[in-house]
Amino acid sequence: MAAGEPTAEEREQARRRVEQYRALSARVDALRRRGEASHAALDATRELLEQNTELHTVWGYRRRAFAGLAEWQDPERRQQLLEAELEFMQRMIRRNVKSYWMWGHRVWVLEALPRPRWAHELALAAKLLAVDARNYHGWNYRRFVVARLRAAAPDGGRAVDESEFAFTTEQITRDCANHAAWHNRSRLLPAILAARDPPARAAALAAEDALVLNAIYTDPDDQNAWLYCEWLLDIQPDDQARCRLLRARVAAIRELLDLDEACRRPLAELAAALVELDRLDPGAVAAAERAECMRVLERLAADPLQAGRFRDQRAALGRQWGVAAQTQEKVAV
Amino acid sequence: MSEAADPPQLLVEKHVAFIQGLDKKQDELEYWMTEHLRVSGIYWGLVALGLLGRGDALDRDEVVAYVLGCQNADGGFGGHTGHDSHLLYTMSAVQILAMCDALDRVDAERVVGYVAGLQDRATGAVSGDEWGEEDTRFAFIAVAVLSFFGAEQRLDVAGVVRFVERSMNYDGGFGSGPGGESHAAQVYTCLACLAIAGRLDVVRRDRLSAWLAERQLPSGGLNGRPQKLEDVCYSWWALTSLHILGRPHWINRERLAAFILSAQDPAAGGIADRPGNVADVYHTCFGIAGLALAGFDGVPLAEIDPVYCMPRAVVERAGLRQWTQHVPAAWHAEETE
Repeated sequence: MAAGEPTAEEREQARRRVEQYRALSARVDALRRRGEASHAALDATRELLEQNTELHTVWGYRRRAFAGLAEWQDPERRQQLLEAELEFMQRMIRRNVKSYWMWGHRVWVLEALPRPRWAHELALAAKLLAVDARNYHGWNYRRFVVARLRAAAPDGGRAVDESEFAFTTEQITRDCANHAAWHNRSRLLPAILAARDPPARAAALAAEDALVLNAIYTDPDDQNAWLYCEWLLDIQPDDQARCRLLRARVAAIRELLDLDEACRRPLAELAAALVELDRLDPGAVAAAERAECMRVLERLAADPLQAGRFRDQRAALGRQWGVAAQTQEKVAV
Repeated sequence: MSEAADPPQLLVEKHVAFIQGLDKKQDELEYWMTEHLRVSGIYWGLVALGLLGRGDALDRDEVVAYVLGCQNADGGFGGHTGHDSHLLYTMSAVQILAMCDALDRVDAERVVGYVAGLQDRATGAVSGDEWGEEDTRFAFIAVAVLSFFGAEQRLDVAGVVRFVERSMNYDGGFGSGPGGESHAAQVYTCLACLAIAGRLDVVRRDRLSAWLAERQLPSGGLNGRPQKLEDVCYSWWALTSLHILGRPHWINRERLAAFILSAQDPAAGGIADRPGNVADVYHTCFGIAGLALAGFDGVPLAEIDPVYCMPRAVVERAGLRQWTQHVPAAWHAEETE
């Protein structure tokens, strides 16, 4: 628009593109209204979907057209038709990896296949995540495939869980800011722990703590490891274990702050850990640490992006601990 | 804040003209390529216009007639005349009819029957259409659409709540379904669903509020997941979630408003996903909705309902503000000075 007016030729080209698209769209519409299930219908819908992946009505018609073919009743023939459809999807997904409708169609194909190759689908999902490690659809698709592999596994899915867990370790080791990988790990860990005896379970929990601390040391300001760190408290066996973990964490954070006291997030986490410790074990946080906590929150509230949050927390703590708002206490920011 | 330049303005007239002009672009391929979501486009346009106090800028009778014509024999609505039904468009259609004060023009029983038929009674989950894709978005839509007709009891609401609860994650957020990664837009649909169902008690308020507050980036804009780019549409999804949680002040609303205003197209009107990109009606809607939530007062904006995403007056007229009674008492906004 700002780049100058289109030439007459460009306008003519644009007009022709509109005309062609509308003609194709009208052709598919006419076939659909007749309810035609034929190879002609499959060709026409493919041609239209190649131009526009977002037409859920056309994807739906394509599925009906498949199911209405006489040869659909022959499992061998159906296998061939749907394998070709998977290849078509492969090309399309490469073009638009974020289409809900397309992923939905792929799920339909897999479920309609007489002999689906789930391991192959898992490899495909891995390839996709190698290109874009955070792709929302890629992870959802991976979980869909894994659920099928689990359902078919003779060991109740234990090996699948372990290998998925290892996959998240690999992803986190590559990039410890991968929220999708940490998330998936949190979804897998409870089953992994449940399958172990108590000593092995304790060892596995300790290994999680080591992994998360390592990630925190790699990038103390990244939120992902801290989120997981907070959740690890939830799944400890009891409050005693939680308090032990919190004390260890407070020590680790102090060490971090000694290295670089400009890190904002470790400060917030220090305050959060002390507050939680105080809640679990009243009296465990001494007056000096409480005062430190209040100072930290005041310092954090100076950040214009987060002021509301930390002011609220500080006020709530002040009420709880009976400390006055302490504004007279000057803090070096 | 002390910006040297004049504070940026909300280009009301430009945005009104942009929305009015959407239906006059038949010579552009994009017009035809987006035909399948025309009903949603009208919804986005009407929300933006309603907030700007210009709800009359589109021809009401024409809109109502067109939308009613998108209802199919199964009772659901397609995104355009003759297109297959889907919950996404059924929601938009019902919201449009509510904004046009024409809910009485639709055969409620057919809509209710369509929506109720999409629930899997074993798991509580709701599909978007006959093909069976399940998502927390559809769980919210089912409960919301039925609430317009006072027919929530036609669903197993406790089952829907169980499905939403199973979609809750370690970070306090919600994904597209059980196992799905937390995402600010899914968080909104889950909170809105729980608000209507009166079950906000299942939410981990502190953890989720902190996660949502982290969505704000130095530009002032909000993202949908950690490490992602800011996008104007999250001004709605994330901030309205914080509103429901009683913590809208956990982000910097002035900076957010400035970010949204910077994504306006000063020439053609409309708002883009981020500054410099091409504007569209979706981001125009959620940009203006974000400004309304952020308390932007450069021009008077109508108040927006955080659950139903329509002007509050519309939601009141439809008798749908009961959700505010379901918010736990401790959640009422307690901003500390």
